[in-house]
Amino acid sequence: MKKHWWKALAVLIVIYAIIAGLLIPLKPGILQIKQSGINSGQVITTEVNTYNTSYKVGDKVDAYLKINDKVKLYSTSSQILDKAKLKLSFDVPALLPQVKSFDYTLVMVDAKHGPFLRPSAVTLKQERVDIEKALSSWPKQNEVALKFVDGTKFPFRAVLYESIRNTFYHVPMWFAMVFILLAAMIYSIKYLRKPKSSYDIAARSLTAIGVLLGVLGCLTGSVWAKGTWGTWWTFQEIKLNVSAIALLIYFAYFILRSAIQDDEQKARVASVYNIFAFVAMVPLLFVVPRMVASSLHPGNGGNPGFGGEDLDNTLRMVFYPAIIGWTLFSFWLAQLLYRYELLREKVEEEFD
Amino acid sequence: MSSLSPIWELIKLELKLEWRMKYALAGAILYVFTTIFVLYTTLQNEQTIPWNALFWMVALFITVNAVTKSFASSGSSDNLYLYQLSSAHQVIIAKIIYNLFLVFALLLLSYAAFSLFIVNPIQHNNLFLLTIFLGSIGFSLVLTFVSAISNKTKNNAVFMAILGFPLIIPIILSLVKLTEKALESSSKEYLNDIAILAAIDFILFGVILILFPFLWKD
Repeated sequence: MKKHWWKALAVLIVIYAIIAGLLIPLKPGILQIKQSGINSGQVITTEVNTYNTSYKVGDKVDAYLKINDKVKLYSTSSQILDKAKLKLSFDVPALLPQVKSFDYTLVMVDAKHGPFLRPSAVTLKQERVDIEKALSSWPKQNEVALKFVDGTKFPFRAVLYESIRNTFYHVPMWFAMVFILLAAMIYSIKYLRKPKSSYDIAARSLTAIGVLLGVLGCLTGSVWAKGTWGTWWTFQEIKLNVSAIALLIYFAYFILRSAIQDDEQKARVASVYNIFAFVAMVPLLFVVPRMVASSLHPGNGGNPGFGGEDLDNTLRMVFYPAIIGWTLFSFWLAQLLYRYELLREKVEEEFD
Repeated sequence: MSSLSPIWELIKLELKLEWRMKYALAGAILYVFTTIFVLYTTLQNEQTIPWNALFWMVALFITVNAVTKSFASSGSSDNLYLYQLSSAHQVIIAKIIYNLFLVFALLLLSYAAFSLFIVNPIQHNNLFLLTIFLGSIGFSLVLTFVSAISNKTKNNAVFMAILGFPLIIPIILSLVKLTEKALESSSKEYLNDIAILAAIDFILFGVILILFPFLWKD
């Protein structure tokens, strides 16, 4: 039992990642906004659909539009329509200290949910631009204190919404794939140093599981892309291209094995190729995507990365264990495959 | 009708043979995939003519064909003779250097032919020549090594494609990136890309030096 503790750990962590990843709710957020008009100098009412909120009639909700770094436009009244829907009205001055037409960020604050916002939420247009005059006549209003409500919740992101939970599946698959393929390379090196067929079987089993993880990474990514980018697969995305090529490199490993008859030579050539493949894959996965400017993935091509503001502490609490859990789980899978292949080889030898 | 049936049988035989050597089919499919992939990635950023894409496409096929023979032409007895005369490292370094000059000459020739018969839109000639040189190193390294591996199989040419194309695409992607900069009139930040390409070449060379002796000792 002493040798197997890590398998139990793998199962526990994976179960934790699945359960916590599914049960922890998202933070409140703004789904959709319907505004009555866009021209300045009038009272504009907006109907705001929120997500994961539980308003009751009579709740006091403060809201403001962020006009620029210094000035905010507070709502004059708020009316709760139902538990996720409310009506805000803004008395918009004729002159705004901004450009002619601009999409303003809407921030909402109340005691129960804390502050939450949506960028580019409300569009306002003004006839002429006079920033000096607008600033001097800007209506003074009471500042609303931002009191954060603590809680274990995943961040609410427009476009991603609930699919942010895929972070615990899609990303760990790639991490696990790189670790597994690294182990495959190490066993290939071991084989070249000392040609024992068990090393070759280990390298082959690990590579098979690595390819499986790559395929799973593509599938989970594909589902995610359908939900967020609107397409199952796009060749315009560099990371999709390089991962497809990385998989081709490793498919070739198995094709190469099938084409060499002599067992000893097959194991040796395959080991050499496996080491070379890993070394060639590293710049492919980690350098080439950074050279290409445009990418839809977070952290590439000017997109905000998972890290910094996106990867908040609650997300980390599940994301890091998920990486460890799925990696250990994959090693277990590879070990099962290795033991099966070892047994099969033994049986074949006995029958020969 | 009876004269047609042997033809039908022969077609079925061909199909069976094709199926038995599935990797040959895989190689053909890979040819298609790689060609279109490289064209696609380069065509995206091209406003005028697909010069960049065409050039590297042509370069890929020329070099694969030129380097394929580097181990195939010498039979096993020749290899044995070479083995007695020199070390594995000497053999692979010699082959890589020879292929480097061969590939570089061929690429220069295609650059000249492109300029003569099609057009030469390159603004930074020196940068493009450097790109071609770094590309030749990368092509020569990867393809010489892949040629040594695929020589161990029966179907040498097919395995040049199956093993070589996926390994060479990362190099082509960075070459295309550099060529884009050579095509622009006011390009500045290319030192970084050159450093990356040179680093990739360097690492591949190191790994090949370590691995080749294991392929050589039959």
